[in-house]
Amino acid sequence: MDPILVVLVFATLAAFTAPLGILPLRSRTAVPPAWLGWANALAAGFMLGAAYVIAETALVAHPVRAAAGALLGIAYTHLSHRASGVGDIDLNRLDEVDPTYGYRILFVSGLHGAMEGLAIGLAMLESLPFGILVALAMAVHNVPEAAVLGSVLRSSGLGPVRTAGLAVAANIGQVLLAIVAFAIVPAVPGLLPWAFGFAVGGLTYLAFSELLPEAYDRAGPVSIALVTSVATGFVVLLRGIVR
Amino acid sequence: MVQVFLFGLVTALATGLGAIPFAFVRSVSPRVVAYTNALASGLMLGASFGLLAEGAEFGRLATLIGANLGVLFVLVAGKLLGDHELEFGAVRGEDARKMTLIVLVMTVHSIAEGVAIGTAFAGGTTLAIVITAAIAVHNIPEGLAISAVLRPRGASIAACAGWSIVSSLPQPLLAAPAFLFVGTFSALLPYGIGFAAGAMVFMVLVELLPEAFEAGRRSTIALLVSVAMVTMVLFQQTL
Repeated sequence: MDPILVVLVFATLAAFTAPLGILPLRSRTAVPPAWLGWANALAAGFMLGAAYVIAETALVAHPVRAAAGALLGIAYTHLSHRASGVGDIDLNRLDEVDPTYGYRILFVSGLHGAMEGLAIGLAMLESLPFGILVALAMAVHNVPEAAVLGSVLRSSGLGPVRTAGLAVAANIGQVLLAIVAFAIVPAVPGLLPWAFGFAVGGLTYLAFSELLPEAYDRAGPVSIALVTSVATGFVVLLRGIVR
Repeated sequence: MVQVFLFGLVTALATGLGAIPFAFVRSVSPRVVAYTNALASGLMLGASFGLLAEGAEFGRLATLIGANLGVLFVLVAGKLLGDHELEFGAVRGEDARKMTLIVLVMTVHSIAEGVAIGTAFAGGTTLAIVITAAIAVHNIPEGLAISAVLRPRGASIAACAGWSIVSSLPQPLLAAPAFLFVGTFSALLPYGIGFAAGAMVFMVLVELLPEAFEAGRRSTIALLVSVAMVTMVLFQQTL
């Protein structure tokens, strides 16, 4: 298969696992808060692991440019959160019915999706098998994210089909950014360390600004720290195995 | 031999310099604790990145096994320290437990660094001064991380500098034997490096960050952690 097709297929797969998160809502049984906490911790670990592997390649070769890219990624994510007013909102409230909350959740999901897409594309550049694993990790992470999004949208009166559609739509930027990153970054001379750095900065900022604080709100620090570090170690170990 | 020890001692003393910026921090508000925790977290995560990247060159699996042992160490030490009525200077209770744990984790992490210095010297002593200078400079932000945890909880500035230096003492003490028995120690190095990184990352995740998020704004904490981390990595990779 053409490498770019591999990127397309797996990035799309990652985006389309989102409706799976909506399925449990139909059974009307509440998701225990601790599970949401662990799902967030798992996602944070995957993100930090991917950031670590991307940083390992870029920072060692071009430390200054990659670090500058990372600071740009942090600044961009921080400012876009601030400007849209989602900097400090709780994203896992299942009882919220305010429609503006639903829009904010959609916006944040889109922002996460974009950063995850960049990570998938850049991981594919590292090596295709490793990129596939990162895409699968993001696919797993999109399920609980969509569960939250879904329950918020459902409670504001949206039907299941439209809810599933919006959950996929929030993640669709991921496919585009994965392909763009994979195709364009190596074609522009000197862009690689900047782009790698940017993704590292964005991913770590998201892990510390949203995933981890929400995880700590829902389960004890020991279980959250264990899930996060095991997930990080898992991605780092996979990079060692899959060359 | 004596030279290796003396060079190691200089690097330990440099750690004390990290306490200096905290001469101006006096407030003990939970918000200050939150943000100094975030600063320490970023610095420790950045330092762990450098260690893991170095460990991967020696052996990825050995580094990862070491990291798991480091996690276990923090879990057990944190639990054991919680069982005792601790005093850290005039401080008691939960704060004293956290202060003891950070000094312990940073001291244990210096063991791996000491071994790294010793084995580096065995490669040839012509670059000795350069290596020492580089490690001494690396130690300053580590002193900063320790002081960031100790100072807002009521430790004096002298205590911050003192404990920072104590935490680095394993460097000269282990650099010498590592230099003499380089074969044995270089086989153990990836485990030690992994252990140090695992312990620091877990300390951040289980102690520093949860406390930070209770009292500070998420976006400010995320900004502090990620910027401190990137700066630390840049600092370590370029110097």
